[in-house]
Amino acid sequence: MSEEALVGLFVATVQFGTLVFLAALGELIAERAGVLNLGVEGMMTMGAVSGFMVGLETGSPWAAFIAAAVVGALVGGLHALVSVVLGADQVVSGLALTIGGLGLAAYVGRNVVGERPETKFTDLGIVGLADIPWFGDIFFNQPPVVYVAVLMGLAVWFVLTRTRWGLALRAVGESAPTTDAVGHSVMALRSGAVMVGGAFAGAGGAFLSLYMAPGWTEGMVAGRGWIAVALVIFGAWRPGRLALGALLFGFTLALQPRLQSFDIELLGVQVNRISPALLGILPFVLTVVVLVIISWRYRHRPSPAPAALGLPYRREER
Amino acid sequence: MIRPVLVRRDRVLPVTQSLGFVVGIVAALVLGAILLWASDQSPAEVYERMFDSAFIGTDSLSRTLERATPLALTGLSVAVAGSMGLWNIGAEGQMMAGATVATGVAMMADGLSGPALIAVMLASGVAGGMLLMLGPALARSHLGVSEIITTLMLVYVAIRVVEWLQVGPWKDPGSLGFPRIEEVPEQASLPGLFGRVNIGALIALGLLFVFSLAVSRTAWGYELRLAGSSPDTARYAGVSLRRKVLTALLLSGGIAGLAGTVQLTGAEVRLTPGLSSGFGFSGIIVAALALMRPSGVAVVAIVFGAVQVGGQSIQTLGVSSAIADILQAMILFGALVAAVFFNYRIRWTGPAGESPAEELEEPDIAAEGA
Amino acid sequence: MASENADHAVWLRGIEKQFPGVIACAGADLRVRPGTIHALLGENGAGKTTMVNVLAGVYRPDAGEVWVNGQRRSFQSPADAIAAGVGMVYQEFRLVPTLTVAENIVLGSAPRLLKNAEIENRVAELSAAYGMAADPSRPVWQLSMGERQRVEILKSLWRDASVLVMDEPTAVLTPGEAAELGATLRAMAEEGRSVIYISHKLDQVVAFCDEATVLRHGKTVATVEDLQDMDLTKLAEMMVGTSEGGYVDRPPTVETGPAVLSLEGICARNDRGLLALNDINMTVHSGEIVGIVGVSGNGQKELAEVINGLRRATEGRVTVKGQDVTKASPRDRYRLGLAYVPEDRLGVGLAPKMAVVDNSVVRSYRSQRRGMFLSIAKCVRFCKSLIERFGVRVGRLNDPIAGLSGGNLQRLLLGRELAEEPSVLVAAQPSRGLDVQGVAAIQGHLVDQRSDGVGVLLISEDLDELLALSDRLLVMYEGRVVGEYPPDVTPRSILGAAMAGKAPA
Repeated sequence: MSEEALVGLFVATVQFGTLVFLAALGELIAERAGVLNLGVEGMMTMGAVSGFMVGLETGSPWAAFIAAAVVGALVGGLHALVSVVLGADQVVSGLALTIGGLGLAAYVGRNVVGERPETKFTDLGIVGLADIPWFGDIFFNQPPVVYVAVLMGLAVWFVLTRTRWGLALRAVGESAPTTDAVGHSVMALRSGAVMVGGAFAGAGGAFLSLYMAPGWTEGMVAGRGWIAVALVIFGAWRPGRLALGALLFGFTLALQPRLQSFDIELLGVQVNRISPALLGILPFVLTVVVLVIISWRYRHRPSPAPAALGLPYRREER
Repeated sequence: MIRPVLVRRDRVLPVTQSLGFVVGIVAALVLGAILLWASDQSPAEVYERMFDSAFIGTDSLSRTLERATPLALTGLSVAVAGSMGLWNIGAEGQMMAGATVATGVAMMADGLSGPALIAVMLASGVAGGMLLMLGPALARSHLGVSEIITTLMLVYVAIRVVEWLQVGPWKDPGSLGFPRIEEVPEQASLPGLFGRVNIGALIALGLLFVFSLAVSRTAWGYELRLAGSSPDTARYAGVSLRRKVLTALLLSGGIAGLAGTVQLTGAEVRLTPGLSSGFGFSGIIVAALALMRPSGVAVVAIVFGAVQVGGQSIQTLGVSSAIADILQAMILFGALVAAVFFNYRIRWTGPAGESPAEELEEPDIAAEGA
Repeated sequence: MASENADHAVWLRGIEKQFPGVIACAGADLRVRPGTIHALLGENGAGKTTMVNVLAGVYRPDAGEVWVNGQRRSFQSPADAIAAGVGMVYQEFRLVPTLTVAENIVLGSAPRLLKNAEIENRVAELSAAYGMAADPSRPVWQLSMGERQRVEILKSLWRDASVLVMDEPTAVLTPGEAAELGATLRAMAEEGRSVIYISHKLDQVVAFCDEATVLRHGKTVATVEDLQDMDLTKLAEMMVGTSEGGYVDRPPTVETGPAVLSLEGICARNDRGLLALNDINMTVHSGEIVGIVGVSGNGQKELAEVINGLRRATEGRVTVKGQDVTKASPRDRYRLGLAYVPEDRLGVGLAPKMAVVDNSVVRSYRSQRRGMFLSIAKCVRFCKSLIERFGVRVGRLNDPIAGLSGGNLQRLLLGRELAEEPSVLVAAQPSRGLDVQGVAAIQGHLVDQRSDGVGVLLISEDLDELLALSDRLLVMYEGRVVGEYPPDVTPRSILGAAMAGKAPA
């Protein structure tokens, strides 16, 4: 196996990691506020198609990226309206968001299938660091979205732990009545969180359609939205662990198409004999294992899962 | 400031609850018409084509029923868990698991006659679905791990295992290098009834009937509903919650596994990673629209089957079949919103308002000084 | 008007509040002077919680005025009340377990940017100023109940509350912590803040408080300005009042039969894992009503649950008609003849969202079968027989039962439990919150059962009810039975003292 292939693997790891990290970060915000949104796949797909179309129209990758975030927020807003404001079931609403989002994206994008974008993000070498062997290419010669995602991760961590808004958000995810009683609006906090989460998912979708697999085809998100849902649990609802989990999940995603080319033996197993499909199982199996471990380890103390996750709140039912 | 507050209605007629579905359909048709109109299509023409291709003529009806069959089974699967307040989000995966185990059994039991083979495959499909559900069910009943996430995660595990099987151990040697699994034996295909409809539809109908009776008319179903509605009352009546959670989830998994097998031996010829093709997820929406009642699942499944068939038919008009998915989601959103307003009414409260929302609260006497 | 109220930190004036079927407050008054600790006393259902919830902006009164610090207020929400300087410490703490002490305290009034070190320092200063040790950086779930209560108090002080309402604050405290709480409240009062103190523990009320208001049936029946000189038993008498009639009297004592329910050395823990029942021994005979007297929270709830198999006894034996049922399921106990009307009618005894007819067969659904199916006709017939026999007023049998009034819920529940002619009936708070006819009907049924030879264990917080109905009274205090009294010849003052843990040896 060549050195280039290995660097290529890790470059792709960072990019796939960024893709699921952006979407999972959005889901983390919503879940920390107590709203389960199973519509990530749909929001990402809507972001992918709208980002791609705006990119075609304007030629500006940044305009496309921002448009995708806005569309993601609007799609998330539907979930917020139905499940937060009106208090309908979050599971059903989220699933409908995925099915409807996939359908709407297919409908909206039916005329741009197969078109090639004129524009795409160019890799942004960070002067001085990009030339470091190996690490330069892997970490410092990536498209700008990667760095934006890192900044967003830091920003979300900062907002959650260091601001009044973040404190209220964490509180409303644990106990809506308590948060309501001290004068915060449960509806505004939760709806805001879901919409911001949608923006992240939409942006993630645009990263896919503008850079990683430029173009638009139906079903191009291909389950990465569900991986993002899994990643939130794998990261135990914390941004830092989410980032580490994103690299791990990103690694499995990046490795799948490359497995055949790795003619090496690892722990007695010939790597290129492993099925890419079985490798794809890893994120989901790990997540289930983590979930079981969490509920076992935290059986006598509060779980890292937001206590009010999935529970609608209406003041008059206090 | 005057603001709206949702107030629970004192009394809701059961009939009104079922109306949510109808309101959802109307809302979806209106929104769909706007979407079509905005893209220079004639909504009337598109809807007429959809309706004709789904309902008019034997062939149309048989297509609708063909699609409704797996939807009815996955809808029933979700509804059985839902009668106890549990969510099976993984019917999609259990379908694959059922079809996979059934395929494996068919490979081994080649010599069996048709009816015997079909029976064995259907049974092993049920077992396969249950097998995939076993982990989530035990985790839920004994550790309290949310079944929502675990069942969902296993969907992709099941699909990926099938992908692996078709390029690996089960790759058909006769497929000239093309990765696919051998067809199930000819004698295993479900006998047809008319058009595209096979006895799978009868199996689905029979199961809907059986479970509809079991949930609403047996002591077992009564315990299930009681445990789902008020766990403390169920405990008070001597019902073991743990056992109820296990049986409800395992049955749900088994029915979804059966759905996969019916799809395998009825509509398809071989196990593929696309076999479940969204039926499991749509089943959740079907069950939600049927208010988790097995008796309602049949109606919703037929409507959804018709929407899907209609969606395919309008491609000849140059309209994207994606309209079908949009309509399905819109029916659900419409019904969810309608259900909220059936159960609640808006009251405007303000400083001068005579009746704040709090007034309808339960008297707090139980809490007093307890 | 304002000048007239200037010397009141709180004036709740003529508060009326009605809930469907229940009058919680019928023109109650409460005046609290600044810088005092004011006890709000009354039995359960007297309207104390409703009064303080009006003050806290949770309920809006149907009539009456709310004055805080000399200003008339009309609170729209709890947030309004907080802004006006009212701090509430509920029995069920309103804290977020995973957040730290400091985060809980500043939640809702935090600066835009949280500088954790700075906030924690300020919280530490505040807690030191009132002598309340609390580590600001610890998550709340790690704290003891006493520490959590301090966090609640600090939360109010952080918002500079001028009035602090404490609902049964010492219920969760050790005696040492309770004494510390007394000192803290006194320090707050000396700063000019006022405290409204709700408690059943009269010795502590007298020790901590300056003045008292006594509520009864939603009205203010007494105000006490010199609480220090007040006799404890006299205070207890004010709370429980004198018999007012309206209660069914049992016919003269009949010969009691054999023991139908007995408990031997029963111990059990409560939900928090603390010892709630400590070596309980009691026997109920056929044809008698045994009343359990006690301030709530002294183990009555756990007692009922252990008897009925909903809570595990850590030690001891429960027998029904001579059979050991300690490990039997609730269903087997019922089959043996043990009926149970639980304290939580809706949620335990009845499933709120299920239909009336479904709720009527919770005990007997297995008998309502024809072949393998539940017979709807049989269920309906059974339900109708209950409705007729027990005078339940219902709309449609298929409507959710939660729509029924309290009295009708209880008639149906009691009727269901009595349908198969049990030998023992455990009734917990059977008439709580019911209107006059409801109370009379329920009590009438209890007495009838006694006449029919059923052994009744009546757990109630209504002393009048216990005195009128019981053949024997057992007083529970801190998980023990501390005394047995004959109801007809025991003065209320002696019962009051025993309830307060001052039983004569």
